[in-house]
Amino acid sequence: MNLFQPFAVPYMQRALVEVLVLGALAGAVGVLVVLRRLAFVGDALTHTVFPGVVIAHLLGRSLLAGALAFGVLTAVLLTTLGSHRRVGNDAALAILLTSFFSLGVVLISRTRGFTADLTVFLFGRVLAVDRSDLYQTLAVAAVAALTLAVVHKELVLRAFDPEAAAAMGYRAGVLDLALNLLIALVVVAAVEAVGTVLVIALIVVPAAAARLLADRVGAMTALACLLGAAGGWLGLAVSYQVSVDHDLRLAAGATIVVVLVGLFLLAAAAAPLRRRLGRGRVAAEGGAR
Amino acid sequence: MAPDPVLVLQRATVAYERDPVVEGVDGEVAAGQSVALIGPNGAGKSTLIRAVLGLVPLTSGTIEVLGRAPQAARRQVAYVPQAETLDPEFPVSALQVVLMGRYPRVGWVRRPGAADRQAAQRALAEVGLAERASARFGTLSGGQRQRVLLARAIAQEPRLLLLDEPFNGVDALSQDLLLVALGRLRAGGAAVVMATHDLGLAHLACDEVCLLNRHQIGFGPIGTTLTPELLRATYGGQALQLRGDGVIVARP
Repeated sequence: MNLFQPFAVPYMQRALVEVLVLGALAGAVGVLVVLRRLAFVGDALTHTVFPGVVIAHLLGRSLLAGALAFGVLTAVLLTTLGSHRRVGNDAALAILLTSFFSLGVVLISRTRGFTADLTVFLFGRVLAVDRSDLYQTLAVAAVAALTLAVVHKELVLRAFDPEAAAAMGYRAGVLDLALNLLIALVVVAAVEAVGTVLVIALIVVPAAAARLLADRVGAMTALACLLGAAGGWLGLAVSYQVSVDHDLRLAAGATIVVVLVGLFLLAAAAAPLRRRLGRGRVAAEGGAR
Repeated sequence: MAPDPVLVLQRATVAYERDPVVEGVDGEVAAGQSVALIGPNGAGKSTLIRAVLGLVPLTSGTIEVLGRAPQAARRQVAYVPQAETLDPEFPVSALQVVLMGRYPRVGWVRRPGAADRQAAQRALAEVGLAERASARFGTLSGGQRQRVLLARAIAQEPRLLLLDEPFNGVDALSQDLLLVALGRLRAGGAAVVMATHDLGLAHLACDEVCLLNRHQIGFGPIGTTLTPELLRATYGGQALQLRGDGVIVARP
């Protein structure tokens, strides 16, 4: 299989840039999601942007703008509802996820030929990304990267030791809102390419794989970005090759997710091996002394 | 004239939904002084510490840290949680944990600089862990982890240090090193407040004691306050009178 040949055509080049940027960004944000054990929050967000996408489609506006509005709305609602002592995070999530998602389904089921649109929103169409879509993704990704740069070390501190973070004067609500907004931005940026359902895989899978292999947040982040981008690239190449060589249509977004899960399984297989090597090294150093 | 106290509590009371958790605490802690909070589980020790940190509101009374409200004094206050409450699998090194104590000084966006790293290295050396700076936090022993957390507090350069059961599950060597490091902080002018179950260590580490069981039973110099009568009042049925003056407190 050739990893470069599929990207000779412009639409594949745009798709490649899109998945490389998304893979790296989702990987970096995913590290914080995995360290905070908030994968389910990410999953909820992927469903709650759905009505935003539908409304934007009905109004003939940018899907990304619709997703952005609902992503931010969810991040705010989630942070405020989740901190309410009698509601709690898990109930807030379940309420928001189901109510927003069904709102989206109700709205789109009123239009004609809605199953085709539904498929696009749920699973994306990375091969149809045009120049302006790409610029929008890049703009949202830039905002997310900037936000990440501002609050990264504080979010790691909150993940590690929330009591000490609060004692140092960091407000839990502010940091949680920042993280929820970050997740929302990634979901929004990825909506066009991989759809609302699959984006959670982009966030969680590379970070979870990196978690198995890395002992420092920095190394874990670098590895998650790398795995996310590599999964995007490989997934696109595979789906293209298979459809050209074997005349089998493989949905690009879903192929990317399958490749990512494959990388995760490789990491899971390599983790015990790495640990054994690490122990061997420590023993050798101890013996040398 | 005596210098202004670091911590002043006046009839401090915390309640959750009208049930008082800790009531009517009065006392002063001066620079260089160390106070043990002593009482059974559920006595309100942790709640009192959270109130001094400004993390739970008082329902009545006042707490002043360095003459200000607790929230306004946080930059001068360091908190040391129990090491066992933290995830041992978290991917950070001992040095990175200590560096976290510098974050409020470093500020948003910026990363800790050379001066912060030096301060963190010095703090690790203070607790005898300079050699283990690059070890992953979770690979250290329980006592070593507790020392790393004290080093993080030292790196904050606090004027008031709050510790929650710092000697729980800590080996003898770590215990000694913690005591020495705490002594050095106090010599440098920091005030120390620690919740502890261990009356023996309270004697070693502190000169004052605050006896709590949902309300204040006594506050004063450890020699005159840690009496059989007051201990029995604090622990109720869990205290056993020995012949003479001795009292044994049975842990729940």
